[in-house]
Parts: sequence; structure tokens; C-alpha cells
Amino acid sequence: MDNSFLHSKKLLLVDDEPELLKMVSAILADEGFQRLVTAANMKEGIAAAETEKPDLAILDVMLPDGDGFSLMEQIRAWTDIPVIFLTARDEAADKLAGLGLGADDYIAKPFLPQEFLLRVYAVLRRCYKEDAAVLKLDSCTVDFSRAEVDKGGEILPLTAMEHRLLETLAKNEGRIVTVDTLCEALWGDNPFGYENSLNAHVRRVREKIEADPSKPVSLLTVKGLGYKLLARK
Amino acid sequence: MKAFGKYISKYLLSFFAFALVLLLVNILAFALTFGGIVFREYGSASPANMLEAVAADLSASGISEERLQELNRNQIWAMLLDASGRCIWEVSLPEEIPTQYTIQDVAVFSKGYLQDYPVFVRNTDNGLLVLGYPKDSFMKLTGNYFPIRAIRIFPLFITGILAIDIVLLFLVYYLSKRKISKNTEPIMASIKTLSTGKPVDLSIRGELSEIADSVNQASQVLSRQNQARANWISGVSHDIRTPLSMIMGYAQRIAGDHEASGNIQQEAEIIRAQSTKIKDLVQDLNLVSQLEYEMQPLHKEPVRLSKLLRSYAADLLNTGIPKKYSFGVEISKNSETAVIECDARLISRAINNLVQNSINHNPQGCTISLRLDCSDSTVSLTVADDGVGLSPEKLRELKEKPHYMESTDERLDLRHGLGLLLVRQIVEAHGGTMKIESAPQSGYKTILTLQKPCS
Repeated sequence: MDNSFLHSKKLLLVDDEPELLKMVSAILADEGFQRLVTAANMKEGIAAAETEKPDLAILDVMLPDGDGFSLMEQIRAWTDIPVIFLTARDEAADKLAGLGLGADDYIAKPFLPQEFLLRVYAVLRRCYKEDAAVLKLDSCTVDFSRAEVDKGGEILPLTAMEHRLLETLAKNEGRIVTVDTLCEALWGDNPFGYENSLNAHVRRVREKIEADPSKPVSLLTVKGLGYKLLARK
Repeated sequence: MKAFGKYISKYLLSFFAFALVLLLVNILAFALTFGGIVFREYGSASPANMLEAVAADLSASGISEERLQELNRNQIWAMLLDASGRCIWEVSLPEEIPTQYTIQDVAVFSKGYLQDYPVFVRNTDNGLLVLGYPKDSFMKLTGNYFPIRAIRIFPLFITGILAIDIVLLFLVYYLSKRKISKNTEPIMASIKTLSTGKPVDLSIRGELSEIADSVNQASQVLSRQNQARANWISGVSHDIRTPLSMIMGYAQRIAGDHEASGNIQQEAEIIRAQSTKIKDLVQDLNLVSQLEYEMQPLHKEPVRLSKLLRSYAADLLNTGIPKKYSFGVEISKNSETAVIECDARLISRAINNLVQNSINHNPQGCTISLRLDCSDSTVSLTVADDGVGLSPEKLRELKEKPHYMESTDERLDLRHGLGLLLVRQIVEAHGGTMKIESAPQSGYKTILTLQKPCS
């Protein structure tokens, strides 16, 4: 999925390690993010959040003048921007504390740049929808805002379920999405025994998006695990 | 009750032997104490002997000089009464002793005392011989009769009393022993727990409370040391993380930098791969120490293992593994809905360590498969590969030798990774078991078995 529409988002980075700030900034800049704000402690972080109005905050948990959790609480007092925690601690309790307070994700140091970027994109995509969300596949184009598939000029409408299914797969374009995740997206928590219904929906979606539904090239089955959607190269 | 029987049989014999020895000692002590007196009093000067001797010596003219001296030596007086009760002969008769007796007088004194002198009588041809011993030298039993029945049951009575005594003694011994072991049992149990390195909190009242306090103190010292060690490892691993992030970040940037030469890119890729190994090691080290010292409570929640397995597999495939490895997941029909109370993060970690082991030990590539099976009471999770496997010796070593983290042997092979130790700890923390199967050239297989919650 094309992520370039997210590059205009403004990101706030708060970490007391200047070297790490420099590296993370470089990774994000390489990727195309132009609007980056950095802060070294809680005070600067709050000030930057107020004046710069970022679209996403990436916070270190341990700061010289407080912890990232209370920084998030203070920022969240006036805005509901997404927050990702970056921390050198990997204790499960920290993770629960972070997500329990409403953090959007939690990345433990050390991390690989690609993993970091994937998480940042995932959070941004979840929070900021592309205005004209159009996905180009091998034999068609999917327009999510209109819930339509344009297959060589033929316009095929998507049902609500098909739309949600395709959207979930599109958000993880090129990656395997397990049947469990798909069932949860379609039917909510604890969806037991919906596998057959899922298969039926997948079959109908293939009829709409694939040139030959019996030999799919866009919506692939990963045996035993789930499905994968491939965009047009 | 089995322990009780064993206890009885073990101690009963020795106890009876002891009771017997005690009885013998008592008899010996009795003999030693009273033997002397008895032998002396029943010696030549004893009433029976003296009466015999004097009676034998007695004639119309009295007794021999020698016998007379013997009587005097023993301060014994003597008299001979004729049939009418008149004294016909006497030796050193005290003044207060009369010389004429009626038949009633004789009947009375012959049983006991005459003017407080213990007297002994013997019928002789010449008359009634009376010997008077010094006052307070003998006690005479004036009521000297017992029913014959009493005499007959006397041996039975003695044996019975002895038997009852022994049983009572044993009972008291057993009860006190039981009381002691009841009081010391919690202490022993605590010390046993302590020896495994786990903390205890013992509360005992009474005489043994001091010991309980000491045990608690030892436990606190141990806990503090464990805490310090876990904190130390946690601190070190924390401090390594930020620098390692930067090494990994920049290495990957260089590896993907098209302006750098191919050589430099390759070398950066090596740095990145090695840093990833350090990252896994640091995480394993911290987790192992947290589990080892029980610093980290398990965050158990009901987890559908089939979902966890698929999610893990999807993550692994999405992150990308080299083409030479093929990876598959098989979930048996009946285990699809199996739910286990567990810490999902730790179980994923265990699966990942096993998969990474398969990858690391088979650089030529292999097929790795994850399987989930289910029986009535257990769920088993199998991670298997079809790679080089292990020789029987290596396999035995892996199963039997403690990991260097758990051993005090200095000549240890430090090449074993932490990965498998962590898997074992995670499985054990969930009350499960780990089984390893392997043979050269026919793959390596680890089976984790977890108990299903009782429903």
C-alpha cells in the first residue's frame, strides 16, 4: 500500500539520548518524513506538543524529569494524537501500563529500522485515513471510499463485509493476515467457527477483484495461516 | 498410615531392647545397693543362722565360750524358757526383760518384739530359745500373712505391670516424638524450600520460634541477593539496549545505502545480523533471570493456542525468513479451540527460540514445522525440523547436563545457548514439560506439553 500520503504528518520524538534521536530522525527522514520535532525531556516534550501540534508522538518511557506515561497523560489532556512508546525496558507490566493508558503501540529497544517504520506506518494509517483511498491491484482498482471495484471499466460494488475484509488486508498489504485477525475484524471478539463464512467472503471478493478467481494472484491463501493481499507492482 | 507402620517397625525393636536393658540395670542397681546389707544381715549373725548355731550348741550347761563371744560381739542377748515359761538360762539379758512368761506373753512376743527388742525364737529339746537383737536392728512383720491367691498371681502381676509400663513408656515416647516432628516439620520443609533458592515465610510460636526467625532471616538474605542479581542483570540489559539500537539502526542504514560499496554493505549486514543475536541474547538473559528468581509474575490469561501459533507464524513470515527455510503450521482439528491459561508473550518467546534454534543449526536450510495437538487433558506443541539433528551423545548431554547458568562446575562448556534454557523455564513456569527427540541427519524435534485447565 502506498504510504507516501503519511509523509506529510508531523512527528514528535522525545528521548533523553541525543544520539538515538539523531538516528531515529535520520531513519524517518530517509523514509520521507519531513516534519520532525525532537525533545530531550518531559518539559520540552510538553512545550513542543503545545506549539508544534504533532500528528504522532513517539515517547521514551524513561525521561530525566519524569516518565513517558505521565507525559502521554499530559499531552492527551488537550489532544488525542496517537502515541507510540519506545523503551529500553521489556517488562510485561510496562507494556500493560502503556497500552492500558491508551498508547497505540509499544516498541522495545533494541529495534530494527524496518520494524520501527512498520509500526509507525501502522499507527498512522489507523488514525489518518487517506482522502482518496485507492488500491491498485493486478487486474482491478479498489476504491475504498466508494466501496467499489473498477475491473477494466466494469464497476462492481462491495458489500460491507467484503469492504472490511479488503480493507483489513490492504492495511497489511504484502503481509500475511491470520484467519483469526480477519474473523475478529469481520465479526468482533472471540469469533469461533466463522472460518467457513470467511472462506465464502474471500471467494466472493476474488470473483470481484481477480481476473481468474480460481487462480488468484492478488488475494493469496497462505495455507494453515490466513491470507495475503498483493498490490500491483 | 504406611509411614506410621514403618516407623513402629523401625523403632519398636530398639525400643524394647532398651526397655530390657533398663530393667537389667535396675535389677543390678538393686542388687548392688541391697546385696551388701542383705548378705551381711543374712550372714552368720542372721537370726536364722544364729538360732540354728545356738540351738545346736545348746546343752544343759549352756553354750560354748566361742558362741557366747559371738553373741556378745553382735550385741545379742539370749534366754531359754522351759515349758512353764520360766527362764532357765540367759546370756546378757537386759534388766528390763522379765524372766517369767505366761503362754500369752510368748504367743505375743514370738511374732514380734519384746520391750522393743526384735526377738527370734526357736523350739529346741531343752525349751524355747529366744534371741534378742539390738533395738532398731530388724523390722519384724507382725501381720505376716498373705492370701495364697495373692501370692500365686504375684508373678503374673509383676509381668503385667512391666508390660503395661513398657507400653506406656513407648506411647509417651511415640507421642513426644510425634509432637517434636510436628513442630519441626514446617522448619524442615522451609529449609528444604530454602535449599532450592526459593523464599519462605515461617511462623511458629513457642520454643522453636527462634529457629523460625533465623530461617526467615536466611530467606530474606537469599531473596535480597536474588533480587540484587536479577536487578543487576535487568540493569545491564537495559543499558545495552539503547546503544544496541543505534548499532542495529546504523548498520541497517549502511547495508541499504546504495552509495556504499558492495563490500561495505555486506559487512554492515553482518554487523546487523550479529547485533540481532546480541539483542536476542540480552532479552533471553533478562527473561531467564527474571524467571529463575521469580521476579516476574506470569501474566496468565486464557489463550487460544491455535490463534497464537498462527499469529506467530504470520509475524515470522511477514518479517521474512531466507528462502532456504520452508515453514509450515499444522493444527489438528480438535486442538483448534484449545484454550490454555498462559502468558502469551512467554509462550511466543519459547516457540520463537525453538524456531530460531532450528534456523541457526541448519545454515544449509531445512523445513521447520509447528504442530498443535490435543488430548483429553493436555495440549502439545511441537517444533520440528528435518535438518542435521544431533548425535546420541550430544542429545544426552543436552538433556542431562545442567546449563552453565545453573551450574557451579568450572569446566563447563559455555557454547550452549540460552535459548533452550529459557524454553524449559517458560514451560516449567506453566507447569508443563519439554521433551527433545533427535537423531543424526533426521531432524530435531521439541515437544512442549501443557496441562489443560480442569473444566
